[in-house]
Amino acid sequence: MTKLGVDERWDLIDKISKKTVTFGEYKHTLKDAIGELTVKPLTGIPIAIAVLYGFWSFFSSFAGFFTDGFFVKLFDEHWLLWLQEIFPGKESWLYYIFVGDPSATNCFEAFGVLTSGFFVAIGVVLPAIVAFYLILTLLEDSGYLPRLAVLIDTILHRIGLHGYAIVPTILSLGCNVPAVAATRILETRKERFIMMTILAIFIPCGAQLGIMKEVIPDTMGFVIFYLFMGYLIFGFILNKIIPGKTPEMLIDVPPYQMPTAQNVGRKLWMRTSSFFKVALPFVLLGCVIVNVLYLTGFIAWMGDILSPLFIGWFGVPSETAGPLIAAFLRKDLAVAQLSAIEMTKYQMISAVVLVSIYFPCVATFAMMLREGWKELLGSIAVLAVVVTLYGGLLHLIWILLGVA
Amino acid sequence: MKILLMGHPNVGKSVLFNRLTGANVIESNYPGTTIDYTKGYMRVGGEEVEVIDVPGTFSLDPKDKAEEVAVKMLHESRDATVICVIDASKIERGLYLVLEIIEEGYPVAIALNMWDVAEDKNIKIDVVNLERILGVPVVSTTAISGEGIKELVSRSRGTAQVEVDDIFERVED
Amino acid sequence: MKRLSSIYFGILGVIALAFGIADLLVTIGGSGLSFGILEIPCDAFRGGWGGLIILSAGLFYLAGIKNISEIHQISKVMMGSILIWIIAGLDIFAMITESIPGGDRSWFNTLEGFLETYAPPYAPAIFLLPFSLVVFYYILKKERNILKKEKDEE
Ligand SMILES: Nc1nc2c(ncn2[C@@H]2O[C@H](COP(=O)(O)OP(=O)(O)OP(=O)(O)O)[C@@H](O)[C@H]2O)c(=O)[nH]1
Ligand SMILES: [Mg+2]
Repeated sequence: MTKLGVDERWDLIDKISKKTVTFGEYKHTLKDAIGELTVKPLTGIPIAIAVLYGFWSFFSSFAGFFTDGFFVKLFDEHWLLWLQEIFPGKESWLYYIFVGDPSATNCFEAFGVLTSGFFVAIGVVLPAIVAFYLILTLLEDSGYLPRLAVLIDTILHRIGLHGYAIVPTILSLGCNVPAVAATRILETRKERFIMMTILAIFIPCGAQLGIMKEVIPDTMGFVIFYLFMGYLIFGFILNKIIPGKTPEMLIDVPPYQMPTAQNVGRKLWMRTSSFFKVALPFVLLGCVIVNVLYLTGFIAWMGDILSPLFIGWFGVPSETAGPLIAAFLRKDLAVAQLSAIEMTKYQMISAVVLVSIYFPCVATFAMMLREGWKELLGSIAVLAVVVTLYGGLLHLIWILLGVA
Repeated sequence: MKILLMGHPNVGKSVLFNRLTGANVIESNYPGTTIDYTKGYMRVGGEEVEVIDVPGTFSLDPKDKAEEVAVKMLHESRDATVICVIDASKIERGLYLVLEIIEEGYPVAIALNMWDVAEDKNIKIDVVNLERILGVPVVSTTAISGEGIKELVSRSRGTAQVEVDDIFERVED
Repeated sequence: MKRLSSIYFGILGVIALAFGIADLLVTIGGSGLSFGILEIPCDAFRGGWGGLIILSAGLFYLAGIKNISEIHQISKVMMGSILIWIIAGLDIFAMITESIPGGDRSWFNTLEGFLETYAPPYAPAIFLLPFSLVVFYYILKKERNILKKEKDEE
């Protein structure tokens, strides 16, 4: 078989296309003109802000409707009371594991598998995930996502991250697992490593966002901001210290198109159901494990040992040890658990930030391992540094502000 | 029989794959949606045909891990018929990959997908002549509406290897 | 027609701009403001970011009115309207999601409570909404004109 050189191939294509293709006159349509507006920085940035505004507004209204409007009532006033009544043996360890604290008046405090476990998974996380994936799917199918990438590229460029990294980043706001896989579209090992690491550390997933909205509605903006700054700062630092290249990426912008209800519905269903297949077992398992660890006194013991670190360095109560263990299994669960610990608003912020950055959840961890154990070890090393420095920094900020 | 779907990112391979096999792989309007391969099956005239959807790739020397998957899949499927999916509105770019695959000796059929977009843009493609020059079946398709897909399947069954030298000759006529 | 639309979207642009600035000022001031049926939100999200977006919508309108029949100019006017639809649409969506659950008392809201949610005062974007829809009329009309012209030429 003859093989051609690159130039020969292009020459041949040129000849072929001269014989077969004619480009008719093409007038710019309104769609094209709007497309241009969305990628030019001057006009694109306000549009991007509006899209993100719409995203968040929809997310809170939709999730709030189901969670605050119905599920809280259902779980606290009916499900919890019913379980507390019919479950035998208030003193037994089985009761503690499945129903939790017998005196609890809401599903956040109870922390049993059947109470908090189900409430977190179905009452809080399910609506959040559905809302998130609905919007994500619309952004994807309409063709806005790659335009956002182009737009952000002009900004992120300065710190050495490439705009296309925004795609894995946005995916990871839903769940870090597919996002880690999506880093495969980045060209070099360096880029992939940086992206994978800062995603797993800094980007909260949809489940976490949903629960944060319930637990810390007023200070959530700050938490997100702090995490996002971390994403930028450490992305920048890693890019500087890791050898290797971050080549330019040409982003191909597809035309805008109307998302079809059929595809949106199908993707929403696929993503939500696969999310739940992974999430629900871990949430329930997480509840069991944490409760067992409480019962055996392990968590109190850990808390004691780690208390200098927790209280002295991070400025959070030593009871945070429990949620941090839960966080390895599920971050949403951990945040829910934090809400039952007594602490100040600022300690709460620190604790939520710690839960977010301290370790990726099991599912993400497994996915990172699949991408290569060397990368995983590297990420863990970065993580240890980030948690210590960036977690401690927040405590320092509180001290300087005089609120710690 | 085995069919491999190859083409640039975001040309509609996954849509085509879902249509052919009834599978549910994710399709979205940005390049780089598919990052791993998926196998599916369809029945054509009583025969079970394996169809494989792979990540999009610009050429046969891969630039990233997703492209690696595609190229590896191609090289592992020596016995496969390759359906090259091309964005009809950007036909020249797509032909590069087609030529590369033809040069490697695979039997190829071409789906000129996004035919509707090309029409909107007033791009006219002489499909018959293109088919004559390349010597492989060329079918215009619109994957999202399903137009042309039946024809694509039936025509891709009869395709065979072609020599680039012959293409050079035919293009001069 | 061209002149009239320029004037119309110009005025709309100025009003949107003013609303946006008012939103931002009120948010900085920290306490909500309401005049009759108009209420300017003061939380950082709706007043701050939302205000910024309304302000941008105003700027888009104003940037688009010169030589408005040109496609790139219409697209700016269109974009101004889209921004307003985002804000107003989500305000309305928020009202809908608030109006249905019954709060502490019952599962669902009473009819009165339900209707009450939709009573004024409204945020500025909602007032801009009906006026921003005119852009559709303009685009349709323009398309029809183009079609007519093409026919005449034939
Ligand atoms: N107008 C039009 N759109 C199409 C057609 N085929 C696919 N699309 C759209 O093109 C986009 C990309 O389709 P995919 O099937 O995800 O593309 P892909 O080739 O699998 O892309 P990668 O997985 O990134 O390599 C989707 O938004 C489809 O709706 C078509 O024939 N006409
Ligand atoms: Mg695909």
